[in-house]
Amino acid sequence: MSDMAQATKRLRLARGGLLDLRNLGAAALLCLLLALPFVVGGFLLYTLTLCFANALGALSVSLLVRYSGEVSIGHSFFVALGAYAVAIMEKQFGLSLLLSLPVAVLLGIAGGIIFAYPSRRLSGIYLAVSTMALALALPEILVHSEKVTGGFEGLYVTLVPLPSVAKELQRYYIALAILVVACLALAQLRGSRQGLALLMARAHPSAAEAFGITRGWARVSVFAISAALASVGGAVMAFASSTVSPNSFTLWSSIFLLVGSVVSLNRLTLPAGIIGGAFLTLVPNYLASAGDWVPILYGAALVAVTLCVNCASDIRLLLARRERP
Amino acid sequence: MTIMADTGAHPLRADGLHLSFGNVQVLTDVSIFLEPGRITGLIGPNGAGKTSLFNCLTGLYRPKRGRISFGDIQLEDLPPNRRANLGISRSFQHMALSADLSVLENVMVGLTLSRTTGWVGAFLPLPASRTESVAANRKAMSALASLGIASAAMMTPAELPPGTLRLVEIARAMVCEPRALLLDEPAAGLNAVETRDLMRALQRLIHPGLVVVVVEHDMDLIMQLCDQIYVLSAGRVIAYGSPQEVRRDPEVIRIYLGDPDD
Ligand SMILES: Nc1ncnc2c1ncn2[C@@H]1O[C@H](COP(=O)(O)OP(=O)(O)OP(=O)(O)O)[C@@H](O)[C@H]1O
Ligand SMILES: [Mg+2]
Repeated sequence: MSDMAQATKRLRLARGGLLDLRNLGAAALLCLLLALPFVVGGFLLYTLTLCFANALGALSVSLLVRYSGEVSIGHSFFVALGAYAVAIMEKQFGLSLLLSLPVAVLLGIAGGIIFAYPSRRLSGIYLAVSTMALALALPEILVHSEKVTGGFEGLYVTLVPLPSVAKELQRYYIALAILVVACLALAQLRGSRQGLALLMARAHPSAAEAFGITRGWARVSVFAISAALASVGGAVMAFASSTVSPNSFTLWSSIFLLVGSVVSLNRLTLPAGIIGGAFLTLVPNYLASAGDWVPILYGAALVAVTLCVNCASDIRLLLARRERP
Repeated sequence: MTIMADTGAHPLRADGLHLSFGNVQVLTDVSIFLEPGRITGLIGPNGAGKTSLFNCLTGLYRPKRGRISFGDIQLEDLPPNRRANLGISRSFQHMALSADLSVLENVMVGLTLSRTTGWVGAFLPLPASRTESVAANRKAMSALASLGIASAAMMTPAELPPGTLRLVEIARAMVCEPRALLLDEPAAGLNAVETRDLMRALQRLIHPGLVVVVVEHDMDLIMQLCDQIYVLSAGRVIAYGSPQEVRRDPEVIRIYLGDPDD
């Protein structure tokens, strides 16, 4: 029994919240980000706000990869759901982000379920291709339903929740707050009954069934969470950039979300999210200035990502094997 | 949840199971009766169909013919998760642990069906979900402790030797207080001390409402542990009885125990 007491103690230490080095790192980063607006302003603040929105997008893809082992090249669809939810709620009902955010979450969940249920038996490249169909269909849908979505032109998002505070600051802090809450919620999910069940279903689907965890449930749940997160990212993006238009939600945006997730090593922490978000915010701009080379660079990026995703598990296995005597 | 709720004893039985994959006949007319309160051994040479029989009982395989029942509930048409819900639990011969989860968390997966935290509790630190998770933690911890591996709780499967992982697999199967516990080669890879701990844990676990079936190649363990033994060979039940009876059965001696390398 002393064995057990000791193990329980170690357990408490390992969960020792604030003492954990990784938590310390995230807390330090958060303090830095909270203080930043007092030091810098203007363009950098705007760029960081976009980075927070993109971080949510990267996290949504990372969640899918971590918890189901699948990749999506259509997540810009779910991002667009949230972005247009915010823009349309403002245009039609005059509501600002804090009220349209719950709508974006619900739309994301619904979108994720509606996509995942029929495709629950697909996996690997077959699932990836069917997510691609989402991304390809999206601009067409947006342009065709011009009355609601504003067509090619898109819509503006100008309302902010607190009229008396400087817009730029509000955008920055609200985006950061949403990102931090999302990361905390993801940390909570990891230790929850559902989180454990999903990770088991990923590792051994048929063994998981013997413990009551069905594949269909696992797939639909992961997609619903991931799509909701992507949708929140879209909502924050619309709010941060004050416009939405179809050309921010192309197949390439989806591919970049996946690349951003890989760059952050598919981790679901605040620092990883920021890295993925920074990549998504900066790299496409640099690439855009490369002119004719863009399609080639995108293509190369896509090939690299696909190879990385496919090899990641092999590499991990190899490393694990090497660690064992 | 019908069976989980009541405390009565329910036998697990299979009648005339036939299972085949293409032209390979894996099980032929297999009938077994697994009594609650007793430990049943299932032995047989490699490829006899022991794991396949477990898979039929837990719903991972669909037999071509035959009936399976638990108490008065017919199981043939129930998917694996529904059977798990009735209290049928198992361990896997080829260990099925998640490398992303700690040992303790792997064991907690066995409690999935008995936990009720909803999706809100999965994302927010509600008091109710905390209480439940602490309780699950404690249960998983005591399952590990009963097998003598509590000190491994916080490690990941990659850090542990196969013997310990085998015990983790078993802890996960028994943590949910099942009504039927199917163990597929639980002692494979265990050293003598671990095997003794396992045997004691199983003897402590057994109660009048619990069906326990053990597939094992370790004859000493089977003979000491089991109240009754089924012998399977080439997909057929060739002998049944108490350890003494089975040990004396000429066909068993010929086919199985008489193996020159045993
Ligand atoms: N999914 C499957 N597809 C095809 N054949 C299978 C399948 N599962 C089992 N078999 C075959 O069924 C036979 C019995 O296998 P099973 O794993 O049940 O044997 P076992 O008694 O558990 O053997 P061991 O002692 O080696 O674990 C083997 O010939 C095996 O090849
Ligand atoms: Mg077997």
